[in-house]
Amino acid sequence: MQMVKKIFITLFVVWFAFLWLMPKQELYYKLEHELAKSAIKINEKKIEEGFFTLTLREADIYAQGIKLATVEKVSLFTLLFYTHISVEKLLLDDSLKSMAPTSIENTNIIHKVWNPLNISMDAEGGFGTLSGKANLKERALRIDFNASKGIEMLKPKLKQDEKGWYYETSF
Amino acid sequence: MKHLFKPAVFKSILGLLLLLLLVKVAWFVVGVLWLPTSGVEHVAQKGGKALYYRVKLTPNEVAAPTVKATKTAVKKSSGNINSIKLLAIYNASDVTVVTVEHKAKTKVLSRGDAIDGFVLEGAGNNFATFSKASKTYKVLLLKGKATGIEATAKPAPTKAPQKPKVKTAKGEVTDAGDHKVIDRSLLDHYAQNMDDIYKNIGIGEVRNGKDLAGFRITFVRKDSPFAKLDIRRDDVIKSINGQEINSYNAAFGVYKNIKDIDNLTLVIQRGKEEMELEYEIN
Repeated sequence: MQMVKKIFITLFVVWFAFLWLMPKQELYYKLEHELAKSAIKINEKKIEEGFFTLTLREADIYAQGIKLATVEKVSLFTLLFYTHISVEKLLLDDSLKSMAPTSIENTNIIHKVWNPLNISMDAEGGFGTLSGKANLKERALRIDFNASKGIEMLKPKLKQDEKGWYYETSF
Repeated sequence: MKHLFKPAVFKSILGLLLLLLLVKVAWFVVGVLWLPTSGVEHVAQKGGKALYYRVKLTPNEVAAPTVKATKTAVKKSSGNINSIKLLAIYNASDVTVVTVEHKAKTKVLSRGDAIDGFVLEGAGNNFATFSKASKTYKVLLLKGKATGIEATAKPAPTKAPQKPKVKTAKGEVTDAGDHKVIDRSLLDHYAQNMDDIYKNIGIGEVRNGKDLAGFRITFVRKDSPFAKLDIRRDDVIKSINGQEINSYNAAFGVYKNIKDIDNLTLVIQRGKEEMELEYEIN
């Protein structure tokens, strides 16, 4: 029993130390370098590290040199078995208003180790609310627009069923 | 000698600290070997050449006085005012010049000149007035949905003018001789519906090593308005209104400002030849 206790304590300490001592900022820089290969760049004003979190503040997102959006806060929280990314106040560039809703208040993306092949997401904005699911095994993404308004510009890309409008793609 | 700490507790704490140290060292090694110490920042292009805008030379917003000029010989004809399309206006206090399209030909008229029996009397900001057989006809500058013809009668006309024809909602591209005239509504439609652009025209990258050097037209659908713009497959777009199109950002800059542009000048490379294509947006 003592041995089991010791093993658990050791695992807990390793897990805690792994997350606590993780060079989160440098890992984020690595992500930036990987994204830059696809011509996606993020200019953030501030990076904050916590025990389990990494927060970007006032980030501008560019693709192919074009400014796509400004995000007030992006927060990444991970316990390894549970990861939560939250995006607050995402404003799409005004020139994209003919393609997508320009304001998204909150977006949450969650991955749980007990449901490893699925990533769930939800968002709320001027268009109403949406919820989605990405299946990593089938490499499929479905986003359902619930009680949506002002999504006329998206409708050519959406499908409709008894639940309402939804977007479906594979990756 | 009495121990300050129980050896077992001390050993456990030491073990935990050792674990922390091991994890720290592991992360340090990962950091040194694989992780960058700085991120990638987007740097805005500086020194880019600003778009230039050509302006319509119509200093008078109000209609120019319709002073009766010495009329040139007016040929009697049974022509129809609907066959005259007003493409462009130059209107000053002392001179009025308009470009019209008639029977698929463009003609430049100054005040007093006649076409198909209709004599140019004057012009306003977006219309020209013609007279024929003591009736006055107002022809609007070519725009999206109507042919732009109105008729007013000095003495009450005996015959009502034809109702304006309704054009397709998307507008059209008209050949005005040395340049093309694009309906603003057509441009607005494509600015709002980018997907429609890619159904009608294919655009690919031209790279010079790693750097983007321009955009190549990969196809133009035959029955689309793009086919009337005189651009062809394999043309390379070099610049638009003086702005070099050597990045997506530059191309997007033109797209963002397209609603404020009245004229477009495209410099393209066709084979070994560099050409300039002129468009007027009405």
